Amino acid sequence: MNYPLDSLALSHFLLTGAVLFALGLIGFITRRNMIIMFLCTEMMFQGVVITLVAFSRFHMNAGGQTFVIFVLTIAAAEAALALGLVVLLFRRKRTLDAQAWSAMRD
Amino acid sequence: MDAAKYIPWLPFLSAVLCLVCCAKKSLRKLAAPICIASIFGAFLIAVFVASSVPSYSPGKYEAGQGIVTAWNWIDVGGLTAGMSYFLDPLTILMLFVVTGIGTLVAIYAAGYMSGDKGYARFFAAVSLFIFAMTTLVMADNLVLLYLGWEGVGLCSFLLIGYYYEKPSAVAAAKKAFIVNRIGDLGFALGIFLTWMNYDTVVLSEIAVKAAHAGVDAAQLPGGVSGSALDWWIPFLLMLGAFGKSAQLPLYVWLPDAMEGPTPVSALIHAATMVTAGVYMIARLIPLFSPHLSPYALTVVAIVGGLTALFAATIALCQYDIKRIFAYSTISQLGYMFLGLGVMSTVGGVFHLFTHAFFKALLFLTAGSVMHALAGQLDLRKMSGLRKKMPVTCWLMFIGCLALAGFPLTAGFFSKDMILADVMARAFAADSEGHLHLTYNKFFFLAILGLFTAFLTAFYTFRLWFRVFLGEEKYEMGDEHGHEVERHEGTEGRRDEGEGHGGHGHEAHGHGDIEVVHHHEPHEMPWLMNGPLVVLALGAIFAGLFLGGWVEHSIRDSTAAIHLAHGEHHPKLLGMDLHTAMMLISSAIAITGILLAGWFHWLNREAARNVAARFPGLVRTLENKWYIDELNDKLIVKPLRLLGEICFAFDRLIIEPLVSLAGFIPRFAGSLTRPLQGGVLQGYGLSMVAGVAILVIIVVWKLTT
Amino acid sequence: MTSALLLILLLIPLAGAAVIALGPKEKDDRVIALVTTLANFLLSILVIGQFDWSRSGEMQVTTTVTWVKAFGLSFSFGVDAISLWLLLLTTFLMPIIILGSFSAVKERIREFFVWLLILETAMIGTFVATDVLFFYICFEFTLVPLYFLIGIWGSTQRLRAAKIFFLYTFTGSMLTFAGVLFVAFFNAHLTPDVIAGIQGNAAATLQLATDKLPSEYAALGSWSFNIKTLTLAAQHMSLAQQSWVILAMLAGFAVKVPIFPVHTWLPLAHTEAPTAGSVILAGVLLKLGTYGILRLAIPMAPLAAVEYAPVIGTLAVIGILYAGLICWVQKDIKKLIAYSSVSHLGFCVLGLFAFGNVIGPSGSVAYMINHGLSTGALFLCVGMIYERFHTREMRQYGGMAKVMPIWGFFMVFFCMASVGLPGLNGFVGEFTTLMGTFTSTSVLGPWFAVPAGAGMIIGAIYILYMVGKVVLGPLKVPPVHHEPDADSHDDPHAASHGHHEAPKDLNAREIMTLVPLAVLCLLFGLFPNLILKTVETPVRMLTQSASRVVFERKLENEPVSPPYVAPPKETAARDENERMTHQAALAPSHLAERNDHAEVTP
Repeated sequence: MNYPLDSLALSHFLLTGAVLFALGLIGFITRRNMIIMFLCTEMMFQGVVITLVAFSRFHMNAGGQTFVIFVLTIAAAEAALALGLVVLLFRRKRTLDAQAWSAMRD
Repeated sequence: MDAAKYIPWLPFLSAVLCLVCCAKKSLRKLAAPICIASIFGAFLIAVFVASSVPSYSPGKYEAGQGIVTAWNWIDVGGLTAGMSYFLDPLTILMLFVVTGIGTLVAIYAAGYMSGDKGYARFFAAVSLFIFAMTTLVMADNLVLLYLGWEGVGLCSFLLIGYYYEKPSAVAAAKKAFIVNRIGDLGFALGIFLTWMNYDTVVLSEIAVKAAHAGVDAAQLPGGVSGSALDWWIPFLLMLGAFGKSAQLPLYVWLPDAMEGPTPVSALIHAATMVTAGVYMIARLIPLFSPHLSPYALTVVAIVGGLTALFAATIALCQYDIKRIFAYSTISQLGYMFLGLGVMSTVGGVFHLFTHAFFKALLFLTAGSVMHALAGQLDLRKMSGLRKKMPVTCWLMFIGCLALAGFPLTAGFFSKDMILADVMARAFAADSEGHLHLTYNKFFFLAILGLFTAFLTAFYTFRLWFRVFLGEEKYEMGDEHGHEVERHEGTEGRRDEGEGHGGHGHEAHGHGDIEVVHHHEPHEMPWLMNGPLVVLALGAIFAGLFLGGWVEHSIRDSTAAIHLAHGEHHPKLLGMDLHTAMMLISSAIAITGILLAGWFHWLNREAARNVAARFPGLVRTLENKWYIDELNDKLIVKPLRLLGEICFAFDRLIIEPLVSLAGFIPRFAGSLTRPLQGGVLQGYGLSMVAGVAILVIIVVWKLTT
Repeated sequence: MTSALLLILLLIPLAGAAVIALGPKEKDDRVIALVTTLANFLLSILVIGQFDWSRSGEMQVTTTVTWVKAFGLSFSFGVDAISLWLLLLTTFLMPIIILGSFSAVKERIREFFVWLLILETAMIGTFVATDVLFFYICFEFTLVPLYFLIGIWGSTQRLRAAKIFFLYTFTGSMLTFAGVLFVAFFNAHLTPDVIAGIQGNAAATLQLATDKLPSEYAALGSWSFNIKTLTLAAQHMSLAQQSWVILAMLAGFAVKVPIFPVHTWLPLAHTEAPTAGSVILAGVLLKLGTYGILRLAIPMAPLAAVEYAPVIGTLAVIGILYAGLICWVQKDIKKLIAYSSVSHLGFCVLGLFAFGNVIGPSGSVAYMINHGLSTGALFLCVGMIYERFHTREMRQYGGMAKVMPIWGFFMVFFCMASVGLPGLNGFVGEFTTLMGTFTSTSVLGPWFAVPAGAGMIIGAIYILYMVGKVVLGPLKVPPVHHEPDADSHDDPHAASHGHHEAPKDLNAREIMTLVPLAVLCLLFGLFPNLILKTVETPVRMLTQSASRVVFERKLENEPVSPPYVAPPKETAARDENERMTHQAALAPSHLAERNDHAEVTP
């Protein structure tokens, strides 16, 4: 009965999630390449997901994990869509720079 | 009597059929027979029902008496106006005039209009007119009367604008409709007030109620009802009558209405439609009772008298023969109103009746002259046509005699009746039964009427002497048939000028149109002269033989006067007043004719010399006292300017104001727009900052 | 009587739209659209068959579709005589409009007809809704199809026109919704004793047990959007509350009507819209506003309606004269007719607020129908020459009666209908609204009717001005528009004279679109009772509270015990009349409905 979780406290998982989220956030803010920015948002997303799973296990409540599975499916769809959009945007301007699309500024 | 409800609808059917005839060229010829048959059919029905029509008296009136209902027209919230017809002797009299003269004119027009492109259209409109006019005179309620009232206005519009390619005709048509609308508004408001006052729009009931109200009011101290409604009703109705019957100040449309084909001028603008106002006031005379509205009839009399004089002065100096007759129509209508104004409904309607004959005759003969001279209407360009058109010459002579009031002609009797009644009104009996000249204004009106009679005789025979006597000399007009063909060269030329006096037709002679006239003036065929002979007989004998019948018709209708004024027989110059007035007016008429003969037949130079002595006056009269110009300057232009101002206001003030409302969110947006620069990193950063602040606040709250 | 007929009426155009959208060939689209609308028209005639005219004031042929039960949200439909007439107007005009745009629309035909059919559903929905929510949804939804109709198929300034039209009407109707929500909120928070009072009163007059009252009484005090329930509840709002409600509602309805000074969207939208759009706008959409006023604003805020009637009346009169004068100086035919709509609808609004007798409001309903017919027809006529010459400038036309006599006939005919010639339809509404205004002395009276009556004269002036310029006068034909080979005419002489060939008169299809309209114009002119008589009862019911307010006010103003002087006849008669109106007003509107609901709720 040597469960891995026994040796790992909840805080480890939360920390991992937080680190992932923070890395993603930093990446999102500092990078201008759209694909990388997108990947960063995915990373933030995974950070949150890990937190959810951890809490779910901690509280012995399946709700959190169910939710995660649900969210992951949607994330997959969303990733496909987003990448498609990025490709489309790239075709328009031949660049992946997000700054190129700041048309709303006056 | 029940058959009477088909009287209006027969011509209506004919109008629809004629409209169908318009569509197919092969059917066009049929329009005239259809139209004539329908009008004559209506006439026959009128003759047929005439004997069974009950006579009316307010004392013995039973609800629904003399009313024939076709269907329930408007019935809402207590307002009940049926498509129903009221028959009393006055209705029958009017029906005879409308359908009888209508038939004659339609027969004449079948010849006159032949070969015209709009032949079927013309008869469709004439049929529609007879529909509207019969509805008008038969209507049992005010709303239906209003239908006829506006309906004849429409037909008048359609027929004046018959030669719709002539700008002057279009302008005249518009003018007629709009000026009439002004009167119609008054009429409509009068209907509202009447409904408020008497709770019904049924004519016979109104007449009964008003008669009773008048009697009641007579008992009050002062003898006058103090109700504002009573006071206003006649004035509003009067406005409608003045518009339709071309009285001051709404007469301006009638002279211009002569742009229509001549049969139309004869039927609509002389014999029938323009007398609708007279009919309406006569029909509703109880509402005009001095006990209900003390000044109403006096105003009618004064307006009538002034119009008679005013129009006669203009007629003196016109050169367009149709316009001379138009002004004379206005003047004669003035007489009728003068008669109504002194409560002589018999006189007013009698004059309406005789006038219908001789004025239709005059117009139609004028039409014959115009037809013979290819559209020439200018008095200065025709002379001595007696040899060329002998029948027309003598027919018009008869008409002129009647109009001038030559003794024993129709016009003589009716005009004399009015003048005598006006004069009689000027006298009042004192306590001992002696008569004194009390009401000066009526005395002046009578003198005015006599003077107008002199002018009438003069201008009528001025025309006749000039056209038919003297040396034979004429110029042809510029119309091939009737359609004024426009050629390329005149395209787009803006022809705003309406043409004053007789100049309207000359204006078209230039451009590429090279007019070659090869035909001579000729006598009209008997298809056209036949009806004229009937009219001429009426113009001579209607006064002598039908006066009694007219008087009885009025006495048995709602137009009867039931005021308790003593029957007194004032004397003038030691004779019975009627006899005295007859002698005076005969003398005046003959003087007028003789003077006209001197100036316009025997010694035309003299006429020119006299005119040269008063150039200002003549010019003013030739230009019709500049009333059209005045109206244009004082009413039309300012109103249009107001329209422009409103439009500018709409575009420059209201629209921007609304746009301003739209600008507010736009402005608010411009304040926050810089925050959304489109830099994703910026959004991310601000999000992080926001979250951080929230976290700090939460932590702060939780820890403290 | 319940029946799914109205639901079917609503769904058929949608189905037609779906068929067109998915259909195989674009060239069939017009025919499919025509068939759909014709079928809908025939079905709406079936509604007449199911309608019991003797109970014309009640909602009949009802259907209810539950949506969210918890919030009292359901869609329910039904028609009384007023809505039935407007429904018929809509279904009657639609085939004509579609037939009229057979050749006018040349691009994106498919979308065009899809939008038209969707629009029909929305318009029908507005008229048959018996709950505010569905009314509002449809009322708003009419904007969307029309936005596209104007924006895509309009003329040069179409985008601006579409935008302004949308924003203008949308902003207004948001406020309307706020007003409606407030009434619903007010109803949901009625205190039990007030509810008991209403129900008690109703039970007494209907002689029914309280628990057997019609369903609209049961919904008092809970969330409901039933128009009748809300109307019942709204009677208990204070004057201040009612004022806000009527203000909010009028914000939307007045823009839609449009009442001066919020009319500026209309000329632009009308002018830029394709013919079909103009006809629908003039024919039906403007009536949504007046219908809303009659159905919602006046019954729900009677106190305020009477209080502000003079203000609204003044705006209406200003609108009549102001827009009429503007018409006179227009150079663009369509703009002239558009402004004439503003002027005409002024009469309509004036009549609606002429409380105290039913003549005014009934006339107003007649006016709605008749204006739809005659002005719609005028727009069709103008569309026909626009299709030939591609210009709307009056300057370029003249004497068209010579080359297009049939068209000229119809133009003059409909102009006369529009100008209110007795015997044609326009007269009925104009006369009765004016008469109602004139005789409702305690609310509006002669001071409003006389200047409004001057609008009749101005109406004649501008209409004849147009007729004189376009139909009559010396012939002037604008160059015939040739799209494919505009430069094939190289004859300078002909070009300088401005016309190349005689334009063709109306073809059979065009005549077919106009004839039904002309027939109806004549029919309603000669038999106006068809409308007037049938709408009298529903109108009386909708304006009864307002009439009661007027009557009570009149009582207050009179001295308590006047020394008896023989009263002038007319006031006595008038009082008697008003007393009758009052009695009619006091009579329970639901009295006759008892049997009806006994059937519905077994």
